[in-house]
Amino acid sequence: MSDGYHMEDEVQQRAYDAHLMKRLIVYVRPHRKALALAVVLLLLMAILSTLTPWLNWKAIAWYINDPERVALDEQIVQFGSDAGPDLMAEAAAKAADDRGGLVRLIGIIALLLLGEALCRYFQTLIVSIVGQKTMLRMRMEIFTHLQRMSLRFLDRNPVGRLMTRVTNDVEKIQDTIVGGVVQIINDLFVIVVVLVFMAWNNWQLTLIALSPIPFVFLTGVVFRKYVQKSYLEIRKKIASLNAYAQENISGMRVVQIFCREAENFEQYRQRNAGHRDEWFRQIRYYAIYFPVIDFLGSFSLALIIVYGGRQLLHDQQALGTPADIGMFFAYVQWSERLYGPIRALADRYNLLLEAMASSERVFELLDTPEEVVNKPDAMVADGLDGAVEFKDVWFAYEPGQWVLKNISLSIRPGERVAIVGHTGAGKSTFINLLSRFYDVQRGSISVDGLDVRDYEKRSLRRNIGVVLQDVFLFNGSVEHNIRLGDKALDENRMRACAQYVNAAPFIERLPEQYGYDVGERGCNMSTGQRQLVAFARALAHDPRILVLDEATSSVDPETEALIQDAITKLMEGRTSIVIAHRLSTIQHADRIIVMHHGEIRETGTHQDLLAQRGLYYKLYRLQYK
Amino acid sequence: MVYEPHHKAVIGRPFRTILRYNAAYWREYLAGALLSSIFVLVGLCMPLVIRGVVAAFENERMTPRLLWLYLVGLIAISIATGFSRYFERKLIISASRKAEYDLRNDFFRHIQSLSQDFFHRVQTGDLMARATNDLNFVRMFIGPGIMGTIDMMRLPLTLGVMVYLSGRLTLLSLLPLPLVSILVYGIVMFMHRQSQKIQAQYSVVTSRVQENLAGARVVKAYGVADREVEAFEAESMKYMRENIKLASVMSFAMPLIGMVVALMILLVLWRGGLMVIDGSLELEDLTGFIVCMLLLVWPLAEFGWIMTLYQRGAVGMNRINEVFAEIPTVRDGERTRREASVSEGHIRFQNVCFSYADQATLQQVDFEVLPGQTVAIVGLTGSGKSTVVSMLTREYDVTSGAVLVDGQDVREIPVQSLRGAMGYVLQDTFLFSDSIRANVTFGRPHATGEEIARACDTAQFTETVEGLPEGLDTLLGERGVNLSGGQKQRLAIARAVVCDPKILILDDALSSVDTHTEEMILQRLKEVMANRTSIIISHRISTILHADLILVLEGGRVVEQGTHETLLELGGLYAELHERQLLEEELEGA
Repeated sequence: MSDGYHMEDEVQQRAYDAHLMKRLIVYVRPHRKALALAVVLLLLMAILSTLTPWLNWKAIAWYINDPERVALDEQIVQFGSDAGPDLMAEAAAKAADDRGGLVRLIGIIALLLLGEALCRYFQTLIVSIVGQKTMLRMRMEIFTHLQRMSLRFLDRNPVGRLMTRVTNDVEKIQDTIVGGVVQIINDLFVIVVVLVFMAWNNWQLTLIALSPIPFVFLTGVVFRKYVQKSYLEIRKKIASLNAYAQENISGMRVVQIFCREAENFEQYRQRNAGHRDEWFRQIRYYAIYFPVIDFLGSFSLALIIVYGGRQLLHDQQALGTPADIGMFFAYVQWSERLYGPIRALADRYNLLLEAMASSERVFELLDTPEEVVNKPDAMVADGLDGAVEFKDVWFAYEPGQWVLKNISLSIRPGERVAIVGHTGAGKSTFINLLSRFYDVQRGSISVDGLDVRDYEKRSLRRNIGVVLQDVFLFNGSVEHNIRLGDKALDENRMRACAQYVNAAPFIERLPEQYGYDVGERGCNMSTGQRQLVAFARALAHDPRILVLDEATSSVDPETEALIQDAITKLMEGRTSIVIAHRLSTIQHADRIIVMHHGEIRETGTHQDLLAQRGLYYKLYRLQYK
Repeated sequence: MVYEPHHKAVIGRPFRTILRYNAAYWREYLAGALLSSIFVLVGLCMPLVIRGVVAAFENERMTPRLLWLYLVGLIAISIATGFSRYFERKLIISASRKAEYDLRNDFFRHIQSLSQDFFHRVQTGDLMARATNDLNFVRMFIGPGIMGTIDMMRLPLTLGVMVYLSGRLTLLSLLPLPLVSILVYGIVMFMHRQSQKIQAQYSVVTSRVQENLAGARVVKAYGVADREVEAFEAESMKYMRENIKLASVMSFAMPLIGMVVALMILLVLWRGGLMVIDGSLELEDLTGFIVCMLLLVWPLAEFGWIMTLYQRGAVGMNRINEVFAEIPTVRDGERTRREASVSEGHIRFQNVCFSYADQATLQQVDFEVLPGQTVAIVGLTGSGKSTVVSMLTREYDVTSGAVLVDGQDVREIPVQSLRGAMGYVLQDTFLFSDSIRANVTFGRPHATGEEIARACDTAQFTETVEGLPEGLDTLLGERGVNLSGGQKQRLAIARAVVCDPKILILDDALSSVDTHTEEMILQRLKEVMANRTSIIISHRISTILHADLILVLEGGRVVEQGTHETLLELGGLYAELHERQLLEEELEGA
């Protein structure tokens, strides 16, 4: 990136957005059966996990603290040694019964626990797999969409930002939204099921246990209000902090040359401190919120004990029945299970909102329309002859700034055309338009008599072999760079292509020959070597039309000779349009087009043009002499 | 994209680094831990209270008054735990944020100290990933991770109460513990291996996107988008499969651990229940005991989560440490003399050779510039012109030979003092998204208004500034205005001039400025730079016509040197360049 102008994405306040959620749901729709199963499992889990405390209670009430046995025991104690054998036997039998019952019940609880674990296993598995698959689909969709975006779009948007959409944002959506929604559903289920169980067994006690709930809600509402604002502040601060770091890393050379390290560090430090302080504020909110909710939870517990205790006391004293201690047990566990999810809900909702911002950015990208589109009845270009015609073509990258003005030009199949002109004359734009990287504003370009806009663009591009001045090699082997993933290309053909364009000798001297890793952007190779590989690549795809932007950079004379020879071979038998910088290339051309300020000024053969003593003559003296 | 550190040996021991960053806040952690223990201790009263309630009922000693007493007791416990919880959170999480703050600062400062070769090797995106993602993982480790660990202290204390209630049951309840430990150990090992695989594959996916976008032209030109999508899908699928592999083990292991813990309680209920039936255990002890165990469930369930935080934090810390282990290749060293500085601007290159990535880019460059002189460097793209300058600014150090400024080797002069004496207008005009004023005064933050005005004047930038709505305070970048190429170059010149440099370097700094403006700027610069040394790199002969010395570079060698006149006479490369230039001007007018 040559420019410092790169800020993190705008941070916006986001309320819950039903529209976004709807679009997100589209992604999980194919998995609705699996998700429905997951929801059923969640419900089962909630029921089973709530059932366990109830059974624990019953284990105590029915067996461990069996009132009949306790009564018998008491009688035995009362009578002491006077207790008859009958009484003793009865007590022993009762104890044996209780033991058996307890073991049976424990067995049942164990089975329930196993069931719950199984439910949890399958539920988590389903949700993770669905989440992963959704993520893959979304990622592929963004990536595929990016393939369709025009160069204009790609030039405008920094690579880093687009990358974030495909990687980070998708990850965040998967993590927080898929995971978060499931958690919220889980929490709600647990709350409902626990409430039902509690009310079923003792509705008065339930009401008492729930009495702090209004305060819980109140706290939640107040907390959310503060914390949401704080979340927003934090996001703004972290975005500014990261943008500053990113800008500094990109412009580190300037920073170091101007000795700004200390100054910029101070600026960074201040932003960093601002970020930290905002966190301190949020920590305070949480530090208050969680304990308050915990306190309310404990308070509810205390109420259960006191109120339940009074009921038990009443039963014990008025009716003479022994206290049902197990009930405490169940209610204590239930109330804990109730307040846990309630406490978590407010926080989960916040995280969900935060992740919504990611989905918004992703959808915004997906909604960017393609600029260069196929017509519905587009022709597949196949077996072209290679006739090219520009008819009254006008083109501008920026509105009003014409780069090509009224260009008309007809090229016969197999003709070799060289375009010359000084920098900024509009030569490269020719290539961009022919391959339909951009669409013309006025006029038309046709191949074999059909407008390029009527072809299916990829098939058109496959027929046009482009070698650009700035050769781009992908990180990977030489072979990969020649094939570009074309598996149909056989090994011998690939080697033959490399041989033909003079690339084979140097490739075969490389450590792993065709398997040699060229490095990022081909940095393990020299400029000349990269060119030769690019020629082999073009030849391997055997295009009908060859478009070549010759490199201006100097290479050693030996490689230069190889390159020139390769270019001549490449042009053979193909319609060739070459932006020429080399005399030999020009001399091999059937026709030379002289461009100047976006217009065609002269055309003809080398000799004709020299004889004219016009622009070409001057250019020739300037560049090729 | 994925940068491989070449010093794996230095890495490792992420926990040590994390510990170091937190050691400064030991007071907070200690206080937090103490408060947490209070919380634990008070929390432990809960099972005892419940035991008391149960006992009172059992012995039919329960009275309404006693119940109210318990209520008050419970509320007191809740309030106490609430307060300790509040301070614990505030202290520990805040301390973790402080440690994060320190780590961020150190990371930024360290990156600042690294030399240009590092920035050529490593991509901005990669560094940013470390500064954001990985740093966040580390933060998660030190915040919630440490708090979770402190929470774990509940374990031994709770265990103590359990032993007090019933030794036999305690022993019994711990029976499944070895099984749990083996399970947890296995899971942690698996998690570590699998996380590494996932993180590596994530890098592959990221690089794929990056490559595809950077090579969009080729992808489009060859119509191979389908194959790109296919290849990307293959990598993404692999990433998904690795993730699912982790998820399927985790979704099995986590419920299993949960179940084992629940079974521990069940075991107690079973054996304890039988003991109560036999009369060898009081019901209240059993209930108290089980409530104790319930207190344990949460920390045990949290354990898996904490392990995840640890794993990710460790991997993140390692990735940050990789950058910390980088050593700046250019820095003040033993040879540096603190007092050395640039006073005159006398430059001498002595047989300078420089090779980068095993390729020689400069060979035997030898020349001298007297204070106040102007030296021009010309040559084709890639002939090494900018490299000559980067030897002088010490962005790179020479491979052999020496660069002398005022008779001292540049390696003897403190880097900051050396660079501070230079005003450098780079070929690649990098401006910051800040106000124009801040950009102009970049190298001299405290420049006066008059100095700024003069620098803008010299750079012929004043008119541009006055044409903007907010003048010098106009913001640049996405939130402000975008300057044209020529305007940016003029701003960059003002930025260099305002530093009042002893040596001014213009690296192709006027390429986007029209010839008329260029002439004006050069004229003004001549006045400003009357007693200083200038180095000008240019493609335009008109720019360098009046230089005292012209160096012609080809393939990293000085092939010709002299003045405009002597070089023309020589009839070599320079004369050729000059002729082309004249023709080009003629052509421009056509």
